[in-house]
Amino acid sequence: MAQDLLNALTLGSLYLLFALGMSVAWGTIGILNFAHGSIFMFAAFAAYELVRRVSLPMVAMIGIGVLVGAALSVLVQVLAFEPIQRRAADPHKAELQILVGGIGIAIIPLSIAQHITKSVPFGYSAGSFRVITYDLGFVRVSNVQLVILVAALGLASVIGWWLRATRPGLALRAIGVDPEVASIMGVDRRRLALGTMAVAGEPAGLAGVLLTYYLGSVAPETGDGFLLKAFAVIILGGVGSIAGVVVGAMVLAGIETLVLVNTSGSWAPAIAFGLIFLMLLVRPRGLLGRQEVRRT
Amino acid sequence: MSAWYYSHLILIQGTFISLLLALSIQVPLRAGVFSFAGIGSYAIGAYTAAILTIRLQVAPILAIGAGVVLAMVAGYLLALLVARLSGLYLGMATIAFALFLGVLAINGGELTGGPTGLFGALSTLTTTHVVVITLLVVLALAANERASFGRRVDAVREDPQLAVSLGIDVNRIRRRVFVVSGALGATAGGMTSLLRSTVSPETIGFHLVVTALTMIIVGGALSWAGAAIGAVIFTWLPSLLQFVGEWQPLVYGILVAFAAVYVPNGLLGVLQQGWRRMQARRHRVPAEGAGALADTATADPEHALAALGNRAEVQS
Repeated sequence: MAQDLLNALTLGSLYLLFALGMSVAWGTIGILNFAHGSIFMFAAFAAYELVRRVSLPMVAMIGIGVLVGAALSVLVQVLAFEPIQRRAADPHKAELQILVGGIGIAIIPLSIAQHITKSVPFGYSAGSFRVITYDLGFVRVSNVQLVILVAALGLASVIGWWLRATRPGLALRAIGVDPEVASIMGVDRRRLALGTMAVAGEPAGLAGVLLTYYLGSVAPETGDGFLLKAFAVIILGGVGSIAGVVVGAMVLAGIETLVLVNTSGSWAPAIAFGLIFLMLLVRPRGLLGRQEVRRT
Repeated sequence: MSAWYYSHLILIQGTFISLLLALSIQVPLRAGVFSFAGIGSYAIGAYTAAILTIRLQVAPILAIGAGVVLAMVAGYLLALLVARLSGLYLGMATIAFALFLGVLAINGGELTGGPTGLFGALSTLTTTHVVVITLLVVLALAANERASFGRRVDAVREDPQLAVSLGIDVNRIRRRVFVVSGALGATAGGMTSLLRSTVSPETIGFHLVVTALTMIIVGGALSWAGAAIGAVIFTWLPSLLQFVGEWQPLVYGILVAFAAVYVPNGLLGVLQQGWRRMQARRHRVPAEGAGALADTATADPEHALAALGNRAEVQS
């Protein structure tokens, strides 16, 4: 029981790291990045390509993952989302273009990684980090799990604090409420959007590297599954709410673990979809979302 | 011709079926409804047709028809359920609906054949039937786009509030769009499973959303013609791109991303704009003559008008 709880918490922390950036970008600058899953996977893959040649410690791997995640995220913003938002007549039309553009871009890193790995799962066994499992009597916990838990909760609190208490955070929330008025108030939307996308990419890259350590190996296609789970997490918690993402990630991971432990597990993939649908019907703004959903 | 026809039969069938699938997303999109329920209807149609054909050996028209009716009912109920959602939230809810059906198919036990799916749905459906049905559907949609219903749909997309004030029942049009989308998706799904004589959970997954969406976006989202252009391109592109070998998905991804960013009205929009420019130039030549200065002066507003009018043009 305690073991299941710990596993659920670890899984939830990975969902949290992944969904954190997506939720912030969607809730503030209005970008729902469909390439997020691809960025997450490619960061893990880039770290793998390096560790295959040089034996690196975990800290270096995490650094690479974070950097690659942020760089790719910014690149997507500059090459695709920024031109779309600049050229689109109204935000409603831009939404669709951003969605499709994201889907198209997501294919690019995926096919590069698939081509190089021949779609075979990759792992970090060449690195200098070794997984150690501590037996505490009632529960077994590995050092990777500890890193994941600390990183997820730490990052969520830092980003939550940053949004709530700093001036750029305030400016970002202002954009989320009304981009035009925020511009009039002297908010540099372009610069903030780039910063947001960088911040959104970092936890994704981190999640990619940590997931690879946690599972031992991941396949290039892992990103797609995470993307759909992240939607469930964000919808569940409420778009743009950091506390909502934390709650959403933990609830989803909890229910999934519960179903996996008690049944054959073939219904597990349906939980995320079912939750998205139910939440949108019952409470479209999510458990903790303050923002009203447009309704016309 | 005949040899070419038989060696490309799968691609020819694929073109028409993916056109129907693309239309099942394009029809709601035209009304400003961001729904992927057509993909779910595809799954409903595919499984209904296969189950009826295998178990009861009914005629293909009945097997597909039953799927279509079922998907229309499902579409209507879904429209009632998600009535208060819009934009990306609606898109998300309908994607969830479509993917949920995939998991349902895996867990359907004997009825749906579980993860392996169903085999041996042999029927008398031929390519000619597929072509005729698709052409009839396209004709009906094209007629609808031009009729008063088409103009009402335009109004609902461009400005729902204005449409309401003009006395258009926005919610009714949205519900109708869901039903039509369901019928289109189910037709595509039913015909696919009968032509291939098999259906499995992998064939109704997320990739269908991607395929249908890319066809519409690259082709043009505001008319059936855009969907047709997209369906032709993305069915035949893979066979034309064989020279790039394993990098084919990469090229595909770059094309989609580029189209989404720089050609938002799709190839249809580009063609229409080009056509308008050509027309404008041809009409101006005889009337001119006097001053080159006047010509350059009018050239700019003309351009601006053409660019502005392009949106209206696409809709009409």
